[in-house]
Amino acid sequence: MPPLKIAAILIVSLALQLSLRAVWKPLIYIDFPLVVIVYIALQREAWQALVVATLAGIIVDAQSGGLIGAGGFSKTLTAYVIYFAATKVNLENPLLRIPVLAAATVLDSMIYVFWHRALNYPPSVPVMQTVSYKLIATTVVGTLVLYLIDSLVAERSSQRRQFATRRRVARRSTGSLRRR
Amino acid sequence: MASVRTQKEIRQRAPLWLVSLLIVNLIVMAVDARDADGQQKVLRIWTQTFASPLQNASSKASNATSGFFQQIWNFRSSAQENEQLKQRLSALETELNQARQAETENERLKELLKLNEHNEIRSVPARVIARDPSVWFNTITINRGSTSGVEVNMPVVTGSGIVGRVITVSPFASQVMLITDEKAGAGAVVGQLGQSGALGSVRGRADLGVALIEMRYVSGLEKVEINDNVMTTGQDGIYPPGLNVGRVVDVKNGTATQAHQIFIQPGAQLDHLEEVAVLLYHAPQRSAPHETLPNVEKSGK
Repeated sequence: MPPLKIAAILIVSLALQLSLRAVWKPLIYIDFPLVVIVYIALQREAWQALVVATLAGIIVDAQSGGLIGAGGFSKTLTAYVIYFAATKVNLENPLLRIPVLAAATVLDSMIYVFWHRALNYPPSVPVMQTVSYKLIATTVVGTLVLYLIDSLVAERSSQRRQFATRRRVARRSTGSLRRR
Repeated sequence: MASVRTQKEIRQRAPLWLVSLLIVNLIVMAVDARDADGQQKVLRIWTQTFASPLQNASSKASNATSGFFQQIWNFRSSAQENEQLKQRLSALETELNQARQAETENERLKELLKLNEHNEIRSVPARVIARDPSVWFNTITINRGSTSGVEVNMPVVTGSGIVGRVITVSPFASQVMLITDEKAGAGAVVGQLGQSGALGSVRGRADLGVALIEMRYVSGLEKVEINDNVMTTGQDGIYPPGLNVGRVVDVKNGTATQAHQIFIQPGAQLDHLEEVAVLLYHAPQRSAPHETLPNVEKSGK
């Protein structure tokens, strides 16, 4: 995946994460940067996934009331676990992304809360309730977002679109030859 | 063949990148945790400086959208509301006359007592431009920073009560920790300051969310009732005395040896904050306890 595309997706996801809470509070339960990280990790692009995870985590941390670096740590580790799983098991199937997203959300939240508890900086919301809401919101919306990214950005889908256009052109030309 | 080698290399180097990035995160986290309170954090200031224009714009856009839908909704119920308002207006006029009389009486009494009321606390009005982007904390970002005279640990209030304190200041924006945060706190008293002995401290609790805060250390012998007002005492070194905190909604009565457990509904609507004021207030300096002891050797003597 080209770095420019990754940068564009990352910026959009961060902009959404930083501003959507002002629109409607429950939207905060969707972790847009995590969805992007899962997508890149599933493409088996380790270096990009890890760097994006650290950057996204630190930027969100810096804007939040939590510890800077906790989100970076949790997202980086989550990205690696998904990358590692993707190299061992074929996770290309869109249906398999649902449990992957769910697992990523839980893992990311647990590591984040662990570091805050360990460094005497407890979150100011009930943990289990928040993890549950986050799990549901990120998995549901994340599945749709992954589908959207796949259809807009992925090289395979652009190749598919190109082939479709070529097929259409080929059909038209053969049709006109038959008529002659 | 070359691409296969690259893939292999990537696979081999991935753990190395992982470990180095995790170490970077750990170092940042450790530094941030070390000076968590009362100090400015460079990384936070920079990101806030760059993010505040974006947050300002999104806040305006969301306000415009919600305002549009609100107007449609208001239009539907305007006729009924009009009738109610007319009735309320006549009642308020009577109340206003009574209040005017009370005000003149108050002025006279003040003059009699020669109370020189100097309200020296200046304030800066600010707009809430963002809320915490993570789901785990409840900070807000306001559109005033160091260029407006805002400093770390200054109190933030609304007309109906205290909101929290400033924790990070960038040139054009500041981050505010709400009073409902577990790490926030304020000295408070149930009832009127100077008249009540029900002194304690209020703080947030994770399981209570932003709806309630808990008041601790109020002697079990003090009488506390539901709907009592809670005010700041000024003993915390952040909030000036006499500001409204909220009202008591639940009390678990204590005993002679056990303190009350009091739950307070904050006066400020913390979930729907739009405009706030930063009080440019510096708590009076107090001498350190060891310097006030009678038998201590004073420096310079």
